[in-house]
Amino acid sequence: MSIFPENAYNAYNAYNAYNAYNAYNAYNAYNAYGAPSNNNGLLSGAFLTTHDGITGAQLDPVGPIRPGAANDVRNLPRLAAGVRAAIYQAELGPTVDVTFEADGDKPQAVLWRRAEEKGRRRAFVYDRMVEMTAPTVEQFQTQMALVSGYAQIRPDRSAEIMTQVSAPLPFYTTIGFIDPARTPYTIELLHAALGFATAVTQRMKYALAVKRPVLFSPQIQPMIATPTHGSLPSGHATEAFLMARLIWKLLAGSGLPQYTENEYWGEMLMRLAARIATNRTVAGVHFPVDSVAGAILGCTLADHVFSQCCGGEWCAASFEGANFDAQHDFDWHQIYSVKGDQMKSSARSGLGTWMQSRPQKADPGFDVPPVLSWLWTKAQGEWRDISLDVE
Amino acid sequence: MNRWTQTPDAEAEDILDHASDFRLFLAAAHHPEAPDETWWSVLIELADVSIETFEAAVGAFSADLLIPVAYDPTDRARVFARQPVAIYARQPLIKALNKRSNRFHVVALQLGAITAEKYLDPAALATDLEALFVPEDTVVMAVVDDGIAIAHDLLRKGPEQSRVEHATVFEAQPVAGGHCSVGRAFGRAEIDEVLARSTFNDVLDEDVFYQQTTVVDWAARTVSPVARQASHGTLVAGVAAGHPMRAGCRNRPVICAALPARLVEDTTGVDSLPTLYLAFHILLKQARRFRLPNGQCAPVIFNFSFGNSGGPHDGTGLFSALFEHYFGPEGALAPDQQKAWLTLPAGNINLARLHAVARGRRATTLSLSVQPDDRTPSMVQMWMPTDDTESRPGLVGVQVTAPTGQSGAITSKPGQSMSLVDDQGAEIARLACQYEAGATQRALVTLSVSPTAHLAGRAPLAPAGNWTIKISSSDMIPDEEVHVWIRRDETLPGTRSGGRQAWFSNSDYERFDPFGRPLAVDPPGTDCPIRRSGSLSGFACGASPLVVAAFSEREARVSGYSAAGPLTPRVPGSAPARSGPDLAALGDDSYLMRGVRGAGSRSGSSARMSGTSVAAPRVARYAADMIGEWEAGAADWSRWAVKRAPFYLEGGDDPPRSGAGGVRIDV
Repeated sequence: MSIFPENAYNAYNAYNAYNAYNAYNAYNAYNAYGAPSNNNGLLSGAFLTTHDGITGAQLDPVGPIRPGAANDVRNLPRLAAGVRAAIYQAELGPTVDVTFEADGDKPQAVLWRRAEEKGRRRAFVYDRMVEMTAPTVEQFQTQMALVSGYAQIRPDRSAEIMTQVSAPLPFYTTIGFIDPARTPYTIELLHAALGFATAVTQRMKYALAVKRPVLFSPQIQPMIATPTHGSLPSGHATEAFLMARLIWKLLAGSGLPQYTENEYWGEMLMRLAARIATNRTVAGVHFPVDSVAGAILGCTLADHVFSQCCGGEWCAASFEGANFDAQHDFDWHQIYSVKGDQMKSSARSGLGTWMQSRPQKADPGFDVPPVLSWLWTKAQGEWRDISLDVE
Repeated sequence: MNRWTQTPDAEAEDILDHASDFRLFLAAAHHPEAPDETWWSVLIELADVSIETFEAAVGAFSADLLIPVAYDPTDRARVFARQPVAIYARQPLIKALNKRSNRFHVVALQLGAITAEKYLDPAALATDLEALFVPEDTVVMAVVDDGIAIAHDLLRKGPEQSRVEHATVFEAQPVAGGHCSVGRAFGRAEIDEVLARSTFNDVLDEDVFYQQTTVVDWAARTVSPVARQASHGTLVAGVAAGHPMRAGCRNRPVICAALPARLVEDTTGVDSLPTLYLAFHILLKQARRFRLPNGQCAPVIFNFSFGNSGGPHDGTGLFSALFEHYFGPEGALAPDQQKAWLTLPAGNINLARLHAVARGRRATTLSLSVQPDDRTPSMVQMWMPTDDTESRPGLVGVQVTAPTGQSGAITSKPGQSMSLVDDQGAEIARLACQYEAGATQRALVTLSVSPTAHLAGRAPLAPAGNWTIKISSSDMIPDEEVHVWIRRDETLPGTRSGGRQAWFSNSDYERFDPFGRPLAVDPPGTDCPIRRSGSLSGFACGASPLVVAAFSEREARVSGYSAAGPLTPRVPGSAPARSGPDLAALGDDSYLMRGVRGAGSRSGSSARMSGTSVAAPRVARYAADMIGEWEAGAADWSRWAVKRAPFYLEGGDDPPRSGAGGVRIDV
């Protein structure tokens, strides 16, 4: 029995199970936030006898009660974090759709972005946001050389690999000063984005159904369990670049010169994301090209989440696996530039263009969902330098 | 059942170097597909001929020979009484050279390591080396090691300005039109250019740098140790020649050569000798480019932080000859008169039980513990007393009993050999005697034992367990000694060679003192033939190099592993070429906090490594500050250095372990 089921941040655990973001359990410091646990039969029994002991005869009436503030973001801070998390998902989830187009030998997964049809209420049109085709089996076979080469540094990377099995948010706290006490809403924003991205990534993986390295050779012997879902796009790369870019947007959005002048924080966040992605190849569960596709997806989703929270431009991108030179390793510099926080417009190999992206203007009639806007504003406020307020 | 027999090779008596021959045979057994296609690094010693003459003489094998372009036309034309030359060769040629009766003027041969053909470039062109004009106080720092992170900020003078003027990377795929017969070489301009290309937002992406330079090439499985968090060469180079980037150091240019990682993995000691010779040859030429304002060559300090346990240990070995060959009075470089010192580690095998001594007429029995799951051969060298007239063949008898009970015996008569064969007739061990002529002039009995395991179970495999070696002589005088060495054969952390070190397991070896502390010196009056004394690295036996022992700072004692002198005297009762290391430097912060902190593989990171190999570069760094001014030799300087900056070691003077004493050098 639970009297206040949503009270503690423990509700996050249910959310964690859903997203497999168990690394977040490290953030159980959150529990300090909540009231003492009420999931306790003894306490309920005590409440009951207390009620019986002091209630007395029924009062009538108790006084005027106003209705709740309907659909009002001012309610949000009074909700349990898990409840808010569910609301964010309800806002973000419907903004996209995934379809699969079997176009000859190049099956394509498409991530669509929802927009309102002009002049009609609750009528939607969808724009192509990410188009993705997988490389051929021969390309993956070529990439196996890289996977087995990377295996040589497993002993060196094992601590990282083991602690990055779940979404590795704690690693980002070593670059941005992220802490439950200091930046609770930043953490909430990142989790909202990760939860959203997980669903998208899984749907894309399901559509493309790319086999894992362990199915290509008995000698890869991954050092961790191979996840059952598809290999491309890499979920870790998607999440790692999504987080890196969102954090970078918050830091840059603070306007503080330490972040904006040299953009070193942005550079380091991307290097961290790339290392997390590469560690999955070292572990033997991903091809480098999975990270390429994941980084493209993650960077695109970062723009999408930002535009949903704040309006403004979003980005459309494509990855054409067959044109990626399978001899090549993953290099995020080909995909994204920290300067200007922009995805590269295109990347080519001798086989053709394997990545394209173009910024898209926001719909003039697009109204930013108040819930997401509220969340971003709260998170952004955590990056303000308080010393400037004094001045 | 195993049995001893005459060595199957009908021409066994004519074999120049049995260990090399045994390894060739093993390689053919383990890689039967095309043994003749495999390239090896080989060190040969030519007598009284030029390289040109040698090349012409082996014309019939020209497809199996690659003489590195590092030997320029002048080198190739010169004639020396004896001249070690590093070559790459395939089996048909190596077999032809490895005969005492060869007509190619090869008097000694040392097989190096298998070298992947993709790293060789027969089309490489020699290039003229331009002089570099440097400030007056310049001292060139030359480092030969494995995995040197040349993009490390300690080796840069600016974000995109390297201090590395030259780097040879033996394990990198050659580029078309290159000037390296093996691997790749980078000049400073190219390093700077790649640094610039790998820098984003002012931040160098070192992963990108090492991939761009093909030092790390995952797909090709070329993985330099710099791909790992810690790399030996990076730490060593950092201690010897690292300076904060912001200091903009301009008077300590670095030249370096990174040995093949695989070669370092296969730590069968002198296997590295051919590449090492080549590395030195390349770096010596590079070092001569640095010209001071007065037109002279800038002084140079070499550091080579590796040791081995093979070799005659009397100052006459091939490695000992290296430095003398180039810098000695009759050396190849004498006309240029470049001041050069070499720092070497004393070695770390003091407590490894790899060294034994048999004296006089008393029979000595050694228990050789060969490990199971040892995927590389185990090699034992037994060096007979000096015999410069070859007048005492058969002075010593050596009997070997395999763990399976069969005994075979030979005497120290060059040409004798016996082989242990398995029930299929495949050779699994060989006991053989050869005469090491030249400066050494001693008979050498070798015991070569096949691996005890192979991943695919490929024979020949030798039995693991205790092999018994019995050494006896009725003619040795009481002071004469046979020195026995087991070659290094262990897997280094992070590598995959699969070697497991054999050791002497005689039960009368005392490991601990009455208080339970490890004994760092042989207990007085011991009869045990296993000796810490004389465990100095086989590389560190020359007279000229600065040989460095390691001490542990907190306890102010020589580190237990730090190897000891003295060397074997050439004549019983006479003074040996070296009584021990020259001096001792920091190798450990304490017994518990082993090692010292130094540069990790990436800029700004650090790693901890222990051993005499981290003590040697510390001395190299200090020596660089003094070599320009110092008129006398390096050994003389080391004594001065100890007086100038002493680190007092408990227990007083101990020349066999710490030379002139401890020296405190802040890095």
